Parts: sequence; structure tokens; C-alpha cells
Amino acid sequence: MDPEQVDEFVMGYLKKKGFNSAAKHLQESLHNNNGSSFSSIDYPNDPELTKLIRSFSQSENDPSRYREGYSKLRSWGYNSLDLYKHELLRVMYPVFIHCYMDLVGKGHTQEARSFFNSFRKDHEMVHLRDLQKLGGVLAPSHLQEMEFARSLRQSKINIKICQYSYDLLIQYLHRTESTLMLGIINEHINFQVYSGQPNSASDDIEAVTIVGSFHEIADHVNQKEIHWGLLEDSLEDRLEKTGGLLSDSEKGQGESKAGDDSKKRSAEIGKQGSSTKKLKKDKAGAATTKVARQETSTVLSSMPRVKPELAMPVMSTDVEESILEDLRNRVQLSSVAMPSVSFYTFVNTHNGLNSSSISHDGSLVAGGFSDSSIKVWDMARIGQAGSCALQDENNQTVGVNGRRNYTLLVGHSGPVYSATFSPPGDYVLSSSADTTIRLWSTKLNANLVCYKGHNHTVWDAQFSPFGHYFASCSHDRTARIWSMDRMQPLRMMAGHLSDVDCVQWHPNCNYIATGSSDKTVRLWDVQTGECVRIFIGHRSMVLSLAMSPDGRYMASGDEDGTIMMWDLSTARCITPLMGHNSCVWTLSYSGEGSLLASGSADCTVKLWDVSSSTKLTKAEEKNGNSNRLRSIRTFPTKSTPVHALRFSRRNLLFAAGAVSKHSS
Amino acid sequence: MGIVPKETIEVTAQSIGITNLSPEAALMLAPDVEYRVREIMQEAIKCMRHSKRTTLTASDVDGALNLRNLEPSYGFASGGPFRFRKAIGHQDLFYTDDREVDFKDVIEAPLPKAPLNTEVVCHWLAIEGVQPAIPENAPLEVIRAPAENKIYEQKDVPLIDVRLPVKHVLSRELQLYFQKIAELTMSKSSPALFKKALVSLASDSGLHPLVPYFTNFIADEVSRGLNDFLLLFNLMHVVRSLLQNPHIHIEPYLHQLMPSIVTCLVSRKLGNRFADNHWELRDFTANLVGLICKRFGNAYITLQSRLTKTLVNALLDPKKALTQHYGAIQGLSALGHNVVRVLILSNLEPYLTLLEPELDAEKQKNQMKSYEAWRVYGALLRAAGLCIHDRLKIFPNLPSPSPSFLHKGKGKIISAEPRKRKLSADSSENQSPHKRLMITTDGLRPEDHTGPAPMHVDKPMGNYNPPQNSVQPSSSEQASDGNESESRNGKEKERGKGRSITMKAILGQIWKDDLDSGRLLVKLHQLYGDRILPFSPSTEMSVFL
Repeated sequence: MDPEQVDEFVMGYLKKKGFNSAAKHLQESLHNNNGSSFSSIDYPNDPELTKLIRSFSQSENDPSRYREGYSKLRSWGYNSLDLYKHELLRVMYPVFIHCYMDLVGKGHTQEARSFFNSFRKDHEMVHLRDLQKLGGVLAPSHLQEMEFARSLRQSKINIKICQYSYDLLIQYLHRTESTLMLGIINEHINFQVYSGQPNSASDDIEAVTIVGSFHEIADHVNQKEIHWGLLEDSLEDRLEKTGGLLSDSEKGQGESKAGDDSKKRSAEIGKQGSSTKKLKKDKAGAATTKVARQETSTVLSSMPRVKPELAMPVMSTDVEESILEDLRNRVQLSSVAMPSVSFYTFVNTHNGLNSSSISHDGSLVAGGFSDSSIKVWDMARIGQAGSCALQDENNQTVGVNGRRNYTLLVGHSGPVYSATFSPPGDYVLSSSADTTIRLWSTKLNANLVCYKGHNHTVWDAQFSPFGHYFASCSHDRTARIWSMDRMQPLRMMAGHLSDVDCVQWHPNCNYIATGSSDKTVRLWDVQTGECVRIFIGHRSMVLSLAMSPDGRYMASGDEDGTIMMWDLSTARCITPLMGHNSCVWTLSYSGEGSLLASGSADCTVKLWDVSSSTKLTKAEEKNGNSNRLRSIRTFPTKSTPVHALRFSRRNLLFAAGAVSKHSS
Repeated sequence: MGIVPKETIEVTAQSIGITNLSPEAALMLAPDVEYRVREIMQEAIKCMRHSKRTTLTASDVDGALNLRNLEPSYGFASGGPFRFRKAIGHQDLFYTDDREVDFKDVIEAPLPKAPLNTEVVCHWLAIEGVQPAIPENAPLEVIRAPAENKIYEQKDVPLIDVRLPVKHVLSRELQLYFQKIAELTMSKSSPALFKKALVSLASDSGLHPLVPYFTNFIADEVSRGLNDFLLLFNLMHVVRSLLQNPHIHIEPYLHQLMPSIVTCLVSRKLGNRFADNHWELRDFTANLVGLICKRFGNAYITLQSRLTKTLVNALLDPKKALTQHYGAIQGLSALGHNVVRVLILSNLEPYLTLLEPELDAEKQKNQMKSYEAWRVYGALLRAAGLCIHDRLKIFPNLPSPSPSFLHKGKGKIISAEPRKRKLSADSSENQSPHKRLMITTDGLRPEDHTGPAPMHVDKPMGNYNPPQNSVQPSSSEQASDGNESESRNGKEKERGKGRSITMKAILGQIWKDDLDSGRLLVKLHQLYGDRILPFSPSTEMSVFL
């Protein structure tokens, strides 16, 4: 190549880029030296460099180059070696979306659209929702406006790739001189090259979600320490001390003694009682259930204990007694001992039921309606009426006369998106599109407090496991912690990139988990308000959350019907639970944490055996395999999507849903 | 191009009164409009999800607009999802149906019903992991459930989602099976294959989920195919096979099956061709009825009483056709001897007087009718005979076995003859051997045969029978042997030239014997106890009818 030619190229490039003064200087110096000085540098002899220079000189604004470059890269990727193909194809998606956004950003709307449409099929399977969002981006201004697009533009995507695949890719890019693609890859992809064989295609969950700069932050955040143990001196704790194995006679004994003594002393006495009884039991030969109980109780007691970070409310002794009673009478569930499921079906809702929930003992059912009302049914009373045949008729006539079987709570001025009970069932907490949260008393049937603070629709509000405190989450992308006696929120958790759709308390009250439309679940420290965990892996909006009773695991359900089991300490997904084919509205752990129940829009309640997984995990960790938990039972309803599930303290499963007429 | 073309912008601009919109502006606006629409839809979908729905409604869009602080869209709050209609002549053009309503109509229309109040009803979705079969629950799949457990047991390793069929209760295989069986039942072209199918129906386990479909199918086809004899017969075969299958629990579906079965038994017309042997179908169905009553009579006390009521009503209604009478008699006789005794024998006398003119060849010119009458007659005979035989079986010690032999032989002839004769021409020649036969056997009753008149179904005649029968046992065994050989001869001769009239006469005679002996048997039994035993032979013979 002639040095003059090179000079021309350089000149053209500088001019095009607007470096006019530099171009002038170059020209001047060229004139001065009469084209001799530059030859001292041997760049003309370096073919790589000349190619590079030449490519720069091409008109950069030509939109067809994107299509050309991408389709070449794509066909190369698809024709590559099978072993490395999936890793190379993983590169395609970021290149694709950035090509598209480049085109949009340069104002080539038409070309961007046709480019997008011709290649979107490749990525629809995995990234459908992202593509739907991006499909709407049609003007440069949208790129700035849209959170998702902005975060994509600003951040680099981490891709794990093995050494050989990386070499292959770079070689290809250099060989074909596709500098455009090379530029995009350099700008937006951060390769994490590792030596050895490529990973198998399926197990890399992180590969499928691109959430901007999340991964780095998430990795950083997830290093923090969390204490997932149960609270010290919790009721379960006490129950174990008193001996969960009390038989009926023992219970009588324990209670008669407990009656006049203080709590702690009763615990001690109970312990003594149980130990003496144990001796008797040994003589008689222990029953298998007892053994099972002992096992679980030892497991529970071996768990670490943590101190509460919040001042815990004092529970009345009556409530405490009843809870202890329930815990004692709890049925042990496992994959062989299934729970009974009582289903509350809402009829004649006229499509207006937005949410429903069941009190902890299953006696109260609340529904939040789109007409701003909340209705509370006392199922214990209805059940009594139903049990007597004579009264039943009366009841019906009464119903015709217009007397309602439910308590109507009116106060909100927008659709009510959640209505939940406090643990003893004496309060109802509701959240609405009118940005307020209201507290109602089920005893007085009246509104007590209206909490204002959110700027947008409040999607969900949940009481803490001990009452008094509650958490809410909203369209304004924040979650907030409140206490019943303050008008202002105590904490505000900001960090989600989209709506916060659901919130759930950790059993030890020190953390809350939030699920969001940004497809992540976050865990927040209640005391400091900091995000301590980010769980990445869902492919669509997270709709439901549940915490295991031992505080170690969390389950989250999404719009696609996938349920993910997370280990809180490592922030890793233990396993995705596949089986539902529509939105998972609700999740609930059984009392001892061996079963997980899920309710979905596909009109089924599924039970999952999660105890085996948690046992297996240690072995799994060694193997480095992710195992899949199994669904042990599916209960189809006739045509009722399941909106709410609740394991009572005695391990009876309550479910609720509104019957949907058009079930086609 | 985006979803929103610039023409839409132009049209919208015109509709709101902007006439001077430049094309460039429209072109610029179009993508932005699309972006905003998508944005709103994204929010609307969030609202939909939080309302726990999977169908987007206008209220969701209003909610989304509200989230963006925009004015909601008015006039669409219908509650339900929209019904879009396709514009005729355009491929991708849809509109919502917005009819013009006369204001007067709206005002004058009666108030709509108040919407029902929201209620909560409670039921058990599962009890200790098992779904109870109550109407509130989705129908269970009986067969699949254990199979699944098996799979899980076999593979203890982590399983990958086995998706349970929820809406489609029937597996593909069962559907195919049902289709095939239905096809075979309808087609009638391959009897061999159909037979195999019947065997499969009668023995295969795992057909239970199909039972409701089969009962439905049978009921439908019977009501539709009354003219199709073969189809009806096939259907009854299917019923029989279903009843035979030990793995099928058919009880809950009996009430659906019974009407079709009874139809096949006592319908006026089964099949439309002369050649259709509907008698056979009725006999077969009667058997079925008997089988059902035997098996389920105990569990359903009303089953038999309802059935007999229907049948007796059919029998005693003189307006009903003879074919129906025949079916009713066969059905009743299949239900057991007590039924026959109580319901047929007690009505026998008046019935026979009704039947008599039909039986008389001279009075009843219609061959078909008389044939039918004979059929009915034969059925009655059989029913009564069987009944008496059964009655007599109660008494364990028959004094003499020989008479029974004797009458067996006689019975064979008589039973064989009437059927053959029906189609054959009359011949007077036959009379003699038979006369002889009768004389030799019933040596002491010449008076019966002296009357050349073919029909003597008179009641008084019966009165002679007791003495006659009481004499019968006295005849020796040799005589009976002789009779048998003779009777065989007679039979062969008859085959050559069957003669109905004489045979009718004989038949009538025998019938009367039989009938009267039966009636008397009942009466006599009450009166004389053991002395009735001598009559047993005459009934034994009827077994072979």
C-alpha cells in the first residue's frame, strides 16, 4: 500500500470525525515533508493496521453494515463446533440488542425495525419479555427514557466463556474484519474467560438474564453476612424446651402446672415432665411418629439462634397459649403424610376480586375488591350455620332478604390489591391503588389507621410474623417498613429497577424479601435498610414469595409458572420447580418446612417435597449438580385459579380462589 | 414500519380537528405513539397480574392510565373482556361492536336482576392428600393416579416435571380405544373384529374412565337407531361385555343404561326389515336384564320393582303390539320364577283369552300377526313351564325319574316343532304320528285328541288334567323309550311336511296341560302338599322348550 494512500485514509477519517484542526496539521506536515517523513514508521508494512485504517474510513453511518455484520456473525456462530456453540451463541443476544439500540440511537428507525424483526426469533425463547420491551424503543429519546434500555447501554454484560471459545470468537472477528461487531463486543461485553471445557448449556442460569450492571452489584451485595437463624426465645423454641413430644396426658399435666406459674417456670416443669415421661416411653417402645418428631425437633434446635434487631411486641398470654396449643397439635407432614386441603371458593365476584387471604387459623377469609371494598367472612360461623340443616334453610332465606354473610369494610378509594391478617387475626391490613395502607380491626369492623407515604399504588402489605410491624411495597419501586403506632414509615428500601410486586418477612423478623417486575428478588435488612441479597434467575415478574420456617430457604414464584428455591446464605438457586404453566399467585411452607404448596392461575394446587432437597443439598454441593425437586401431588380445582394458600399452625392447608366462569 | 402506521396518525389528527398536520410530523409521531401505547400496556399488564387475572380488561388499562396520571378511557368499563369483530372485507381490521340503542327501549326495559352477592363456599379439595370425589372437585382420573405413583417409586432420582393432565381426563389411548369400539359397533362390517372387541371390553382392566362415555354412546345410539337391528344388537353386546368386565364398576351408570336396555326389550319395532330377527334381540336383552337384576338387585331394591312394573304394564296393555308383549314376557321370565309366578301366571287366564283369536289361523288372516301371536304363546309357555319346573325342584325327592324322561322326549318334539312349523306349510299327515304319540304317552286321555278342532284353550279342559297327569307316572320306562324313538320318527316326518294347524292343536293341548298343571300345581301345592309331586314330569319337559 502506498504511503500516500494511507495518508489519504487518515485524512478522510479525521475529517469525517470532525477533527479538523488535526487534519489541517496533518496536511501541513504532509506538505512540509513532501510525503517522505511518514515512511520512517513502518505502519504501511503492517497489514493488520492498514486494514483497520481502511475499515475506519468506510462510511460509518451505513445502517446496512449492522445487519451484514450481525448476520455474518450469526451464521458463523450457528455453524461453529457443537461443543462451543452454546457459548458462542450466548454472545449473539447482547450483540443483537446493542446493534438494534445503535441503529435506533442513530435514528435509523426503519432499518432498526426490520433488523429487529428479522432476527428476534432467535432470542424469543429465552428473552421474550425483554424483546417485547425493547420492541417499543423506536426513537433515540426512548433509549434515554426507558430504564431497561438505559441500564443496558450503561453497563457491560458478563459472559463466562471458555478459553477456546473466546479464541475462536476473536479469531473470527479479526479474520473477517468485522470491526463493527468487534466494537460492540468490546464495548458491551465483559468476557470472563476460564480454562477448561465449556459448561453445559442449561445450567448457567445467569446467562439468561441480563439486568444491566446487576451482576457486579449483586456479587458484591451477596458477600454480606446474614443471620438466617430463628429468633431466640421464639415460641417454637419454647415449645421444644417444654418438649414438643408431650402426649395428651402430659399436656394436661404441663398445663395444670403452667396455669399458676410463669412462662419460664412452666417450661422447666414441662421439661421435667417430659423427661420423666420419656423414660416411660422408652419402656413402652417409642412410636415412629415420636421418633420423627424428635428428629425434626433436634434439627430445629440445632439451628443457630439470633437476637431480634427490632423491639418485639409483647404477645398476650392468651394468644401465646393458643399458639402453643396449636404447635403441640401440629400434624407432621412429609411426602408420605399429605395435608388436608380446605378450599374457600369465592362465587359471584363479577371479576372484581383482586386479592384474598386467609387468617393463620383459617377461620377468617378476606377479599380485596376492585370496587375499593374489603369483605371479611367468618368461616367458623358460616361453617356452624351450614352444619345444622335447619339453620341452613334459615340462612338461605336470610341471604335472600339481603343480610350479608360477610363484614364489609369500606374506606379505600381505589382497587384494593391486598388484604392480609395479622398473626392473631385481630387486624386486617389492606393496600390500595389510592396509595394508602389501611388498618382495620376485625373485632370493631372499623378502620383504625390510614398510613400514607407511598407515591403510587401499593401492591402488597404484609404483617411481620409477630405482628405490630408491617412491610409494604409499591409501584414507586420502594418497599417500606411501618409499625402500627406510627404514621410515617420506619424504613424505606429503594433499589429495585421496577415495581416491587410482593413482600414477605423472614421468620426472624430481621429481614424482608421483595419480589419485583425487574425479575429479581431482594433481601433487605430491616434494621439498616440495606439490601443484603439479590437473587437473580427469574425470567419474568416475581409474583409470590415464601420463607421456610427455619429461615434458611426462600421460594419465589413468577409469571411463567416457575418456582425458584433459594438458599439465603449463598443467594443461589437450589433448584427451579417447574410444573405450573401459568402465574404462581401464592406459595406457602408447611409448619415444619417439609412441604411447599403453590397455587397458580392454571387452577391447581401443587405440593412439592422440599425436605428431600434440603437434605440432599450437601451431597449435591459436592457433586456440583443442581437437582430438581419433585412435585408430589397436584390437586386440580374445577375452574378456580388459586389466589391464596395458608398452612395453619396445625398444618391444615387452606386455599382460596374466585371461580372463573370462562374456563376454556 | 411499526405497528402504528402514519395513516393512523393522520386519521386521528383529522378526527380531532387538526387539518394541517405535515406528513413528516405524522411520521415522527407514529413511533412515539407506539412507544407510549406499549408503555401503557406494560403497566396494564401489571395491574392485571395484581388483580389475579390472566385476561386484560378495560379496567386494567384505566389502572395503567391512572398510574401515569392520565385521564382514564371512558365508556369501556363493561367488566368483561372485549369482543372484537372482524371488519368484512379487511383482513386485519377489527372493531368493537357498538350498537345503537334506542333510548326509549332502555328506559322502558324492566330493571335488570340485582347481581348476586359475593359468597364464599367451602369444600375439601383434598383429605390427607386424596381428593374426595365430590361435585366441587374436578373429576378424578382413576386409572392414571396409581400409575404415576409407580413412576415416582421407580425413579427415585429427581424427576423432571411430569405434567398431569387436568382438563383432558381421558388419555389419548383411551380416546382412540373408545373411537375404535364405537366405530366397530356402528360399522357391522367386520363381525370377527367386533367379537374381539367385545372380548377386550369384557376383560380389559383400565377401561373404567370410558364407562360414562360408553353409557352415553349406547343411550344415544339406541334412541337414534331403533330401525337398525344390527346396531341395536351390537349395542346390547357391548352392554353385556361391560357388565361382564370385572374391572368395571358399572353401578353408578346403570340408571343411564337401563332405559336403553328396556327399549331394546319392549320396543314396538326393532329393526325395519322383515328378516331382522328381533326375537333374538329381545331374548338376548331379556337375558341381560336378568343378569343386571341378579347382580344389582340387592344393592338397588327399587331396580327390580321398577323394571317389573314397566314390563307388566307393557304386557297387560292390550293396545300394545304383540312384539312388545313378547319382550315383556321374556323380560319377566328372565327375572326369575317368582316374578313369573306372581305376575304372569296370575294374569295368564285373561291374557290367553285375549291371545286366542290371534292364534286361530282362521280368525287371524294376517300371517305376520299370527306368527307373532305364536311367538308370544311360546314365550308364555316357556315362562310358565320354567316356573313350574322350578317350583317342583323345591321338592327334592321325585318319586319316579322315569316319567320325567318320558316327558322330556315328548317335550323335545313339541318344543322343536312349533318353531319350525311356523314357516312351513300345513300338512294333515303329521297329525297321525302325533296322535299316536300322544295316545301312547298319555294313554288315558283319548278324549283330548278325539276333538279334531285345533284349538282348545278353554279353561274347563284344564280340569281334566289332574287325573290325567296323575295317571302318567304309571307308564313304564319301556314305554317311554318307545315313545322317544317314535317321537323321533315323528319329528323327522314332520320336518318333511310340517303342518301347523295340527301342531297348533297339539301345542295348544300341551300348552294347556302345561299351563293348567302349572296353575294347578300352585293351587294344588297349597292344597295337597306332597301329592303334587306327580306333576313334576310335565314341568321337567318344559325345561327343554
